[in-house]
Amino acid sequence: MNDDYLWDGSGEPDPEIQKLETTLGRFRHQGEAPEFPADMPLRQSRFWRRILPSHWSLGLRLAGATAVVLLVVAIGMFRWSQKPYETSGPGWEVESVAGTPRVVSSAFGKRAKAGKLGVGQTLITDSHSQATISVAEIGTVRVEPNSRLRLVTGGKGRNQLALDRGTIQAFIWAAPGEFTVDTPSAIAVDLGCAYTLQVDDSGAGLLRTTLGWVGFILNGHEAFIPAGAVCATRPKVGPGTPYFEDASPSFREALSKFDFAANTPEERSAELGNILAASRQRDALTIWHLLSRVDESDRRRVYDRLATLVPPPSGVARDGILRLDQNMLDLWWNQLDLGDVSLWRTWERSWSRDRTSGK
Amino acid sequence: MSTSPASQTSDDASLVLAAREGDRAAFGGLYARYARMVHGILLAKVPAVDVDDLVQDVFLRALPRLCDLRDAAKFGAWLAAITRNRANDFHRQTRTNSAATDSLSEYEAELPAPKPAPIAEAAMILGFVRSLPDAYRETLILRLVEGMTGPEIAKRTGMTPGSVRVNLHRGMQQLREKLSQAALSTSIQAHARSGKNSAAPDKNSLRRRTEP
Repeated sequence: MNDDYLWDGSGEPDPEIQKLETTLGRFRHQGEAPEFPADMPLRQSRFWRRILPSHWSLGLRLAGATAVVLLVVAIGMFRWSQKPYETSGPGWEVESVAGTPRVVSSAFGKRAKAGKLGVGQTLITDSHSQATISVAEIGTVRVEPNSRLRLVTGGKGRNQLALDRGTIQAFIWAAPGEFTVDTPSAIAVDLGCAYTLQVDDSGAGLLRTTLGWVGFILNGHEAFIPAGAVCATRPKVGPGTPYFEDASPSFREALSKFDFAANTPEERSAELGNILAASRQRDALTIWHLLSRVDESDRRRVYDRLATLVPPPSGVARDGILRLDQNMLDLWWNQLDLGDVSLWRTWERSWSRDRTSGK
Repeated sequence: MSTSPASQTSDDASLVLAAREGDRAAFGGLYARYARMVHGILLAKVPAVDVDDLVQDVFLRALPRLCDLRDAAKFGAWLAAITRNRANDFHRQTRTNSAATDSLSEYEAELPAPKPAPIAEAAMILGFVRSLPDAYRETLILRLVEGMTGPEIAKRTGMTPGSVRVNLHRGMQQLREKLSQAALSTSIQAHARSGKNSAAPDKNSLRRRTEP
């Protein structure tokens, strides 16, 4: 449903939202402005007026100010000599959930400021420790044991982590595309979601979406993973094809071989046949992705199977899909009923354009 | 809503500067402009019966700290942060992390009739909203309870319009699911179709019902 009414009250009114407004409107703020105390100090100098009594003479205040300055300098020099390494730029709050997670500077291996993960720093958990990171104001990331996570970029509109190994659980409510996680074999792009991302020591990864959507990309391979679906990734290959976890074992086995084990076109074609034969309607998610992952001769078979599972909507023609017409692919995707694409499709198109232009 | 973001920010900044100079009317203007935002953020986190007192407390805390605000144009985001901290302090002081939920249970416990009465319905729906993730419940309460539009929420809180829109959409999606699970959705839709106005009591009567 169009959410214009929810957004700014324009468009066709949604009766359910109107009812909620009426019901919950009873809790609306109705209070009058309080009497603000007339004697409350409104204007203070930022520092001296707070720490130096106002009834002191000028000489006394100067002497006091000098003493304070000397004290501050002495304390500052002492603390500077003891200070752990700290990067400039934004830092994210880190909270220990269990054990003793460490934040270190990747540049010097030196202990970093406690409780903060700065740009360029790495959060390390051992087998007994876990941590939670507050990602600016856009979400949280739970870091499981035996993980190594770096903050690459942090800032408004662009937040980038790198998971070298281990497991994280991310819950992000930023606008689509503002939060990404690099792994050795793919980049996870938040499209509005909660998900778990695992990376083993070889750099292979597995992404499991529990809410919303995640994009998984590398070197031209892309996968869009809705809630309930997973997607594996391998170094030098990139993301495999996403699938729902309740798919049949034969379907999953054939897909794994197709993505990562088949070495020749003949082997891939054979595994594709097994995938198509074992697919259910819900597996249209996977079949739609396969359209752009097979050569043209195999694409005909994929088209036919997907058309059986989810008939192509008006505006989608066989020859258009066979030549990978993006608009037709989008139209068919919408027909899969896997979610509201309007929130993230704009970003995905923009991202695709950037990739095409080599940005 | 009719003012442009630029003029809005400019107005905030001039009011903040005037308030710093001791102009109580200017601070009153900021109160009038931001009370709903503060109220909504608090309502997302603390029991309804405590919200009004805390709204005043937040403004009384903010007033002497205006000099600490470096960028007067960011008053809204600054005040929102103070409000969230105050809500957290409230829970630390009372040591009742689930106070909001407990309060709603109290409302329900007072209802003698087996059929959900409007006040119970309102309290239950508010409870569902409060059970959503922080960002969603805060944004949804500002929209559905305080009657602010998405662009207005973005202007007041300093969030980007994109984030607000996403929060509203996803929050509403999750709320619909919860309502549907609780079979409240059917009731709401039936009310909406019949065009009847709910006789849910206002907040003051809610407060009266819960007072000893």
